[in-house]
Amino acid sequence: MPFPNVRLANRPLHFIYICDCSGSMAAQGKIQALNQAIRQSLPGMAEVARQNPEARVLVRAVSFADRAAWHLQQPTEVQQLQWLDLQAGGITAMGEALELVAAALQSPPMEERALPPVLVLISDGQPTDDFDAGLAALMRQPWAQKAVRLAIAMGHDADTEVLQQFIGSDPGGGLPAGEIPGASGRKPLHRSGRSPRRPLQASNATSLAQYIQWASTAVVGAASMPASRMAGSGPQANIPLPDLPPTLMDLTDDVGPLVW
Amino acid sequence: MTWILPEGASLDLEGISSPLQVLRGLGGGSQGQVFEVEVAGERLALKWYLPACIARDPHLKRRLGESIRATAPSEAFLWPLALVTPGPGALPLLRLGEPGFGYLMELRPPGFVGAHEHVGGHLAIGLLQVLRASFSLAEAFHALHLKGLCYKDISLGNLFLEPSSGRILICDNDNVDVDGRDLGSVLGTPGFMAPEILMGRARPGANSDLFSLAVLIFRLLTRHDPLRGRRELVIRCLDEPARRRLYGEDPLFIFDPVDASNRPDPIEHAAALITWPIYPEPIQRLFEQTFCAGMQEPQLRALTGQWMAALAAALDQRQLCGSCGQETFPAPSEPAPLCWSCGCPLPPPTRLRLPHGLVTAAAGNELHPHHFDRLLSLRLDQPLARVEAHPSAGGLLGLRNLSDQAWRAELNTGQQLVLGPGQACNLAPLVRLITPSGAVELPC
Repeated sequence: MPFPNVRLANRPLHFIYICDCSGSMAAQGKIQALNQAIRQSLPGMAEVARQNPEARVLVRAVSFADRAAWHLQQPTEVQQLQWLDLQAGGITAMGEALELVAAALQSPPMEERALPPVLVLISDGQPTDDFDAGLAALMRQPWAQKAVRLAIAMGHDADTEVLQQFIGSDPGGGLPAGEIPGASGRKPLHRSGRSPRRPLQASNATSLAQYIQWASTAVVGAASMPASRMAGSGPQANIPLPDLPPTLMDLTDDVGPLVW
Repeated sequence: MTWILPEGASLDLEGISSPLQVLRGLGGGSQGQVFEVEVAGERLALKWYLPACIARDPHLKRRLGESIRATAPSEAFLWPLALVTPGPGALPLLRLGEPGFGYLMELRPPGFVGAHEHVGGHLAIGLLQVLRASFSLAEAFHALHLKGLCYKDISLGNLFLEPSSGRILICDNDNVDVDGRDLGSVLGTPGFMAPEILMGRARPGANSDLFSLAVLIFRLLTRHDPLRGRRELVIRCLDEPARRRLYGEDPLFIFDPVDASNRPDPIEHAAALITWPIYPEPIQRLFEQTFCAGMQEPQLRALTGQWMAALAAALDQRQLCGSCGQETFPAPSEPAPLCWSCGCPLPPPTRLRLPHGLVTAAAGNELHPHHFDRLLSLRLDQPLARVEAHPSAGGLLGLRNLSDQAWRAELNTGQQLVLGPGQACNLAPLVRLITPSGAVELPC
């Protein structure tokens, strides 16, 4: 006879991509690389969701250019998700995008009980609207304060200062806010000083894909079901973040050419 | 995924005598990556660590070496077989700045799935198999602890099940350490960690293993968490500080017999309320022992041997409800048991009387050597006989001889039969079975 048809009660885990679709993203295949990276990450994300019986992973996406709009408005179970391509063109209404996310994190529509949301902001430029007002609106929401907020800087023109403000201060200290290793224009080393509490520098399609993969699997895992804990791990935020993807050396040319 | 070791490459590694061929990457996490490899014609799994993992855990290599020398406590462990480091020829092929090391183990055989598949309700599995898996888990920890070792970080993530049999495999044995020596960095996984470890009052060892083992058995048996009741419902955002309160600062078992303030919610925690009454009282008592008195007093927690005895006894009294067919576990002493599933009365079953214990005659129940000899340790993997339904004559139960010796059957007609190895005999006319280990008697 089968085991009774019951299962562990789960909580929703809202995962929201906030994607820069300004005109500069059309250059050098950046928007295509982002679409590819997100699409490629979905099977791994679905697998992590399945391994975490405590969580129901729901994905949404906001795009921002001249205006901000929901690209994927309905919270969608990752197993059912089909990614529609983002299109680039316009300026950078990042502040408005944060206001949209703020409205979504209000209760209601937010559930009374949930896991910490995961917000991933991806940008290659500078906000052209009132970023501070958008961030302030977002951070008034208790669910935004509890959220794991990550930022990915695409290329070296991204405004790492505003991305750091979105993440909040880095409790680990280290480099001053806004300064990221490898942002000087040289090939980034990603060796020391990298931290998930700082903007992640994606200098090419490969590293972008790695970071998207990391955010949608390792971070979703950490936010939904705790992982092994080691002694002496430093100051913990409300969700201890997993290690960043390792820096793998390019031995051959099998990682593809640099895209931008 | 980008693999640390190039797929297809042949690597010369120190620690093994033949070159190792990387066949394919199997998976990766924050610790490292696992590959399917071939060494001297044998397919094995190779785990390779990331530099950050090695840096965090300076004694990892030493522990692995000692585990390899100690050899596996039982077949349930996917135990490290050999430690390997890159030879000069392999160094340039690794995609890491620091070469590090890895270890070889057996591949996980097909048919085994992550225990989270069961807890998440994705798996077709029966109560018999879940109880057997729980027994095997307790048995594996029994063997580990008897070797003076401890596991430190058991959770759903490193347990695999074979749904058809209830067999288990325990992976990620790289935190195993000599109990009390504390040559390691891992603390455990929140939700499975004993409160004294989560709160930093003690370091993980065999006593905290007993807490984690009870959590894991509870999650297998109920598909729910032992500490998540009403107190969870007042938590809006289940983050790290909230988990610390729930599992560390103020933990309260949802079925605490004295303090009912953390009972499961009938809607949110239905799984716990439906499954808890299925199990016999001795199993419930062991959970209470571990999660009530043993919550703050590690030496009071239920021991691996107690779990094995209670789980094996539950399997002995497994009975199928005549009305709904569900598996039930009424104790012989229960005066008028009801089916937990449909509520129908369960009539007293036929019970096989063995030199040590009674086994209910229900299809799937097995007779084991420990039923005949009290001095033998409890184990379920070498059954001597199994109760089976007749393939075509519905309702007819038989007992199949799984041993390699012939038995003598005495029927109520006075007739005597020889029951050869592999043969089954109808239980209805059977009075007694004489086996070399002892007699099986049926009530007249």
